[in-house]
Amino acid sequence: MIISKKVEFSASHICRSEHLSDEDNERLYGAASNPLGHGHNYIVEVAVSGDPEPVTGMILDLKHLKDILEERVLSVYDHRLLNREVAPFDRVVPTVENIAIDIWNRLEPHIDPTGRARLWSVRVHETNDLFVEYRGEK
Amino acid sequence: MTVYLSRRYGFAASHRLHSPALSEARNREIYGKCNNPNGHGHNYEVELTVRSAVDPVTGLAVDLATLDGLAETHILKPFRYRNLNEEIDVFRLAVPTTENMAAEVDRRLRAAWPETFPADGPRLEKVRIWETERNICEV
Repeated sequence: MIISKKVEFSASHICRSEHLSDEDNERLYGAASNPLGHGHNYIVEVAVSGDPEPVTGMILDLKHLKDILEERVLSVYDHRLLNREVAPFDRVVPTVENIAIDIWNRLEPHIDPTGRARLWSVRVHETNDLFVEYRGEK
Repeated sequence: MTVYLSRRYGFAASHRLHSPALSEARNREIYGKCNNPNGHGHNYEVELTVRSAVDPVTGLAVDLATLDGLAETHILKPFRYRNLNEEIDVFRLAVPTTENMAAEVDRRLRAAWPETFPADGPRLEKVRIWETERNICEV
């Protein structure tokens, strides 16, 4: 079974790569390449898979999931300029693709110390018409 | 790293659900008010999911301008503000149900995909179409 939890954060970012020319940055990222940055209300859906524990009937204590989301993601990302304040975005472009991958990397080791549940997917909505899902595929 | 990127688009169009292979009475029974001879319309939404590796330099899985251009040329422009039964060839024969709409959107995108993206590039994973908030079909 898969159980999902949804949280939100707001943050600003600049989609520009120092490895690309100004022209390429503008062509690839469009308005998101504005060097002064812009922001979004991001929605994050985290899905966890596993079998419900027979006594509690739960795959995972959702309070635990809420706590690690707060500690590992929201407290780090919320109301920040991602490029300057959240590693690895000093090195990689904070596209919604890379944000989904980074949130997976932050959560995955801490999902369930007992190993019953495991992280299934991280879905990040940047706007109403664009979202990216990462399932840990290398 | 491989991700699934989803992009959502909208268009408005009219249609009538009616099969010439069935009697008038049977059409009314199956399609209900959607069988109204004068037709009716919807604000359709189309969600395309693309599976692709993330480019290590750009951080992008797919060039959104290219994907948007593909959707605009092959789906949105031909369908927007059209009477689907009268103006889209395939729906002169097939009934423009959500199912057949999803299949046609999928077919058009797959036909144009190879000339739009490289063979080792993004892959069309899934097409979902909303006829209303409560009526959704996925291919």
